[in-house]
Amino acid sequence: MYSAEISRKNPGCFIFLLDQSASMEDPFGGSSERRKADELATIINKLIHNLSIRCAKGDSTYDYFHVAVIGYGQDTVVKSAFDGPLTGKDLIPISELANNPLRIEDRVKKQDDGNGGLVEQSVKFPLWFEAKHAGGTPMSSAFKMAAEMVQRWVAEHPKGFPPIVINITDGEATDGDPVPEAKALCSLGSDDGASLVFNIHLSSASGNPIELPASDEGLPDKFAKQLFEMSSSLTPFMIGRAKELGMPAGDGARGFVFNAQPVQVIQFLDIGTRPANLR
Amino acid sequence: MIDALHPNGAAPFSVEAFSCQKAGNARSEYEDAWAIRGSDSPTRCRVAVADGATESSFSALWAALLVESFVRGRIQGPDFFTRLGAIRRLWRRKIRGRPLPWYAAEKARRGAYAAFVGASLNAVNRGWRAVAIGDCCLLHVTGNKELAKAFPLSRSEEFGSSPFLVGSLKRPGDDPLPHVRVIEGVLQQDEILFFASDALAAWLLRRAEKGEPAWEAIGPDAMRTKEDFEALVAQARDDGTRNDDMTLVRLMRRAGWEKDAS
Repeated sequence: MYSAEISRKNPGCFIFLLDQSASMEDPFGGSSERRKADELATIINKLIHNLSIRCAKGDSTYDYFHVAVIGYGQDTVVKSAFDGPLTGKDLIPISELANNPLRIEDRVKKQDDGNGGLVEQSVKFPLWFEAKHAGGTPMSSAFKMAAEMVQRWVAEHPKGFPPIVINITDGEATDGDPVPEAKALCSLGSDDGASLVFNIHLSSASGNPIELPASDEGLPDKFAKQLFEMSSSLTPFMIGRAKELGMPAGDGARGFVFNAQPVQVIQFLDIGTRPANLR
Repeated sequence: MIDALHPNGAAPFSVEAFSCQKAGNARSEYEDAWAIRGSDSPTRCRVAVADGATESSFSALWAALLVESFVRGRIQGPDFFTRLGAIRRLWRRKIRGRPLPWYAAEKARRGAYAAFVGASLNAVNRGWRAVAIGDCCLLHVTGNKELAKAFPLSRSEEFGSSPFLVGSLKRPGDDPLPHVRVIEGVLQQDEILFFASDALAAWLLRRAEKGEPAWEAIGPDAMRTKEDFEALVAQARDDGTRNDDMTLVRLMRRAGWEKDAS
């Protein structure tokens, strides 16, 4: 289980669910300046950025993954969260996403000069998503929409690596209990295993980030505990990879983080040899 | 596609190479590299195999530069990995100036990586010395088809998906020396040195650990043609081996060479 090769012929599938409800306008992590919606936009842009680079090969992109991004909250509806040329699109190959950001900013970054030193270089920094916050939090409906996508995907890729759904939210659903919907989604899968659900919880509460816990002890509130309950256990490969990347994953670790930016999560799937010293 | 160098009848060593890209990939996407120099030299022969990492860009170029640099040079020890400045500059020159989209440029900025094993053989006393970083392997098999040495990894479970590799960029705090392995040996008559990229080496070791025939299957009697190698690769993949580029270099002492040379 969870051993199907991920390749251009047998791509993996990521579905991101973004909470764009009004409560995301509230401060993040006890900050007076940063809102949860800002943090969410940073995380999803970083995830897409890293996924695009991970799939870059030579001067093109290998479509190792197909990606969908579903927004829930704006006008209390659930729909594709893509903007610009990708508006309204469903699951798309990573190359289409990489080639169609909303905008590209020029930023200056310190980089290795290749001879052991550092040099300031201008780098292109693409952005696909802006911070948004309006309406209620139809999280349960978002999971239903994701389940429909998963069902289609596994019908088309019955032997492929099962889809991974990553929900980024402050956890306060307004359309009923999202736990049964998440469990229903996890009951779908391919011959290689059940679909996996991970949750990234962005809270207004301050406190230390929590990454990949094995139990809900110590989680700060009922929303965190609910999202933990909705989160799948990591596969043994994922636990090993998380440890390699410096994340505190033990036996029974679940795909749940609290007030953290787990951009390493897209490294949890194996697409070939990854140098330990690649940073 | 499979390549094979045919043995040179007047040489102290017979060296053959076989290679095969990942199933489903074009030959141009093969990212291993191998190089042989001096198999017909009366004094020394050098062989190297490198495996460019899937998760880096332009790693086939980097793997090729590494093996060529090794076989053309004279360094036998760990300092090979501290004197890569010339080929690093060459790698950067080849990449620089290409009109790359943002993700390709960013990936290239992170450098290319490869596993490497290279050996130097003395044709006179038959001694050999090898250096390695990563999981490309040298396998020393005796005339009785027993494994005498497996280097730098010796058990199939030691192979992972994230080894430390040789980078095309020199990074602060990325000292290769703690990761270099060195080994020496003597190649007796009827013995064989195999050089294999990781997926193939891991499968061969796994077979040997289970008591299944491994070394006979890649010896000169069982594997002579590219079709034989393709059949072996297919068997390895049917057996659950990761779909990867596969490379095998086989080096033997040529029978009777010492007598011919004297």
